[in-house]
Amino acid sequence: MISLLLLTWFAGQAAASAAAQHIQAGLDARNQHQVDVEITEFRKATDLDPRLLDAFFNLGAAYMEKRDYASAIAPLKRALELNPDLPAAHQLLGYALLAEGYAAEAIPHLEQVGAQDALAIAQLETGHLQEAVTNFNAALAKRPNDPDLLYYLGHASGLLSKNSIDALIAAHPDSARAHQALAENYFVLRQMPQAEREFQEALRIRPDLPGLHLELGQVYANSAQWPKAEEEFRAETKLQPGSAEAAYRLGAALLQQGKTPEALAELKRANALKPDMPETLYSLGKAASLTGDSATAEKSWTRVIELEKDSSLAAQSHFGLAALYRKQGKTDRAQREMQEFQKLQSTIGPPRSE
Amino acid sequence: MGRRFTRRNFLGVAAMAAAAPVFEVKPLRGIDFILQNSPTPQKYLIETMPGGVALFDYNNDGLLDIFFVNGGRIANPLHVPENFDRSNPRYWNRLYRQNRDGSFTDVTQAAGLATAGNGNYGMGVAVGDYDNDGYPDLYVTSYGKNVLYHNNGDGTFTDVTAKAGVAAGGWSVSAGFFDYDNDGRLDLFVTRYMEWDPDHNKICGGDWHTYCPPAAFPATTCVLYRNRGDGTFEDVSERAGITAKKGRALGVSFADYDGDGFTDIFVANDGMQQYLFHNNGDGTFKECALESGAALTSDGKGLSGMGTVFQDYDNDGRPDIVVTELPRELYGLFHNDGQGAFSYQSLGTGLGALTSGSSGWGIGLEDFDNDGWKDLFVAQSHVLDNVEQIDASLRYKELPLLALNHNGHFERADSGVTSPWAARGAAFGDINNDGWMDVVVTTLGGPPALLLNRGGAGNHWLSITLRGRRSNRDGYGARVQVNGQTRYATSAGSYVCANDKRLHFGLGSAEKATVEVLWPSGQKQILNDVRADQFLEAGEPEHS
Repeated sequence: MISLLLLTWFAGQAAASAAAQHIQAGLDARNQHQVDVEITEFRKATDLDPRLLDAFFNLGAAYMEKRDYASAIAPLKRALELNPDLPAAHQLLGYALLAEGYAAEAIPHLEQVGAQDALAIAQLETGHLQEAVTNFNAALAKRPNDPDLLYYLGHASGLLSKNSIDALIAAHPDSARAHQALAENYFVLRQMPQAEREFQEALRIRPDLPGLHLELGQVYANSAQWPKAEEEFRAETKLQPGSAEAAYRLGAALLQQGKTPEALAELKRANALKPDMPETLYSLGKAASLTGDSATAEKSWTRVIELEKDSSLAAQSHFGLAALYRKQGKTDRAQREMQEFQKLQSTIGPPRSE
Repeated sequence: MGRRFTRRNFLGVAAMAAAAPVFEVKPLRGIDFILQNSPTPQKYLIETMPGGVALFDYNNDGLLDIFFVNGGRIANPLHVPENFDRSNPRYWNRLYRQNRDGSFTDVTQAAGLATAGNGNYGMGVAVGDYDNDGYPDLYVTSYGKNVLYHNNGDGTFTDVTAKAGVAAGGWSVSAGFFDYDNDGRLDLFVTRYMEWDPDHNKICGGDWHTYCPPAAFPATTCVLYRNRGDGTFEDVSERAGITAKKGRALGVSFADYDGDGFTDIFVANDGMQQYLFHNNGDGTFKECALESGAALTSDGKGLSGMGTVFQDYDNDGRPDIVVTELPRELYGLFHNDGQGAFSYQSLGTGLGALTSGSSGWGIGLEDFDNDGWKDLFVAQSHVLDNVEQIDASLRYKELPLLALNHNGHFERADSGVTSPWAARGAAFGDINNDGWMDVVVTTLGGPPALLLNRGGAGNHWLSITLRGRRSNRDGYGARVQVNGQTRYATSAGSYVCANDKRLHFGLGSAEKATVEVLWPSGQKQILNDVRADQFLEAGEPEHS
């Protein structure tokens, strides 16, 4: 019996010694970037000693290195069985599970180590959208402008928004807001007749809801139905006399119909409500030019150029100024503005027709 | 004439508000022409671009006759070298002679025009008496070779293209006769659209599978032919400075916009800036649209220029430019401010509000209600035959636009057309010689339509035929002023079409007119106390 025990002890000592040798061989292979050798050596170590934490962790890490995430999961789980407080194992296991589509299982491991980016992705995939958005924002604070994070944040926010809208439509299908939400979807899809129908229904239910006339007006503007667009924008300005956007949109619709004095007045009002908006100033310049108010046109377009030195609107303002000066017989100034227009065109491309 | 709002104008406006449709859509009796554009699944761009119509009196019997340009048969698929087999009569261009009873007789074969255009895909037509023999000649543009038909004066035509040297080649669209050097002989300008052939065709629109925009193909140059006076023409495009600018030209119109005595050229380019070729008077032109303000919209954006007209819409004595466009753009109206400058007035004239959802092709500025103000008529239809699938707010077939001119401001009126068309060409003339301007419209894959002016009580008119002596025989390029209105003599303009060369003036309530003609030769002629409601022939004086 004693000899049997001794034999077992000696065998155990020999195995431990052999496993340690394989671990060392694996680490040497890692240094030489021989990942397959690394895996072979660590696996031999785990076979020799099923309680050897280092062997399991390193085998998992080697599989991760090889991007064989499926194979990484088992050794990493075993490593955590041997030591549940190993942060590196939690992190790798979390990544491996996420990569293999086990997002829910990955979450506790990623939470353990505070891996916000991966955690947010796992939350996104498991439908925990609010938490995902929070974590994407936190990750973005550390890595601003990361394209992947920005994409995921947009995606998660969109889904969150959709969920809210779906909930709204499911709970209150006949509400004005539900029709508004549907209309907005149709608008994005450029299905204007459907968008028009839904906005009108929303307005029928709640004619005093701010923003609805504005949105319906944009549906009409999009299909060049300017008299109808004017009607809606005008209704919005009555509901929200302090809305610079409503005033601007109304002014633009009036301008499109050649109602230039009215357009000028409305665009001036928009500019007073919210000064230095380039779009408003540009349209104000156009309306002023058409009504013969050259001073206002010049001032407005000059201001656009001050605000937006190299934008499409700046180019268009230079073009407007060139026409203004040409009409005034100021040939040199007209030529200078035309040169600026052409210079900007060559850098930002010609303004496109709508 | 200023923009004062007079009592007469007011009454005119008030009457118009309650008026019946301006035109009656009449069948063209005896005309069985169908414009064969032969659309294919390959979406060859040429398919959506024809076809022209000319209103001219080929036999000098005092009645306007009609010539239609046909497209042609397109093989599917089509390869270079293309051969548009047009031996089948359904693909012929057609000449119809007007009879005394207002009906028409197909005289295509008798006139020697059968199978004309065989091998080419037809586009447009220009009319001018290039040899000053008193009979109007025909120039037919094509994708392929263009053809000049000399009018023999006996009811027949002869293809003189080879001798004249005006085949051009490539993809020609619109053309017009004018006398750029004031030598008394009509020269010829031809627009060319792009470098295109079926082997380099593209299909756009992804799953929608539709025609590509012009920018998908390389630009090309227009052609200017100088009339040598011996039945031949010389290609002076390069020497004259025309080839200095490549474009995607569709429409062309002519007028002397700066009053220097030489006719200038406006070219409607598709999807880019427009071109204004100023005639330097020495045989050369300078393209000056950008510095003149006639190149871009007021936002500095390019235009999808298709049809164009170069006449004075606001009675200030200077020719203005109107260009038809695609939806989401506005038809461009460039007001001639004088001193060589134009300003974009699509919004201020009300035209923008009428046109932002439409696609325009053939266009005319004619006084349809004889009130003394030129009105606008536009043949409309989208380029894409499946546009509804792409944008539900747009339509392939559209009603034409009739916009009556009230003191320089345009307002929509009922044209009388009730069903939409895939319209392309529009030619203008007084078909039935009743003193009221009519319109003939071509439609893709369909028959032409005659919009016969219903006329009206009260307003008077005057129609003037010029007889040049030192100037070209038809007086093309002359500036004619009647009671404060101005017209520039031309049969060109619109899109792929040729108009009645007679100059039509509405006189409102005036029963007399003063006619002032500034001939291309430089001679000025004044005719006083001219009776209204007549067809007047004004001959150029022998001596100044």
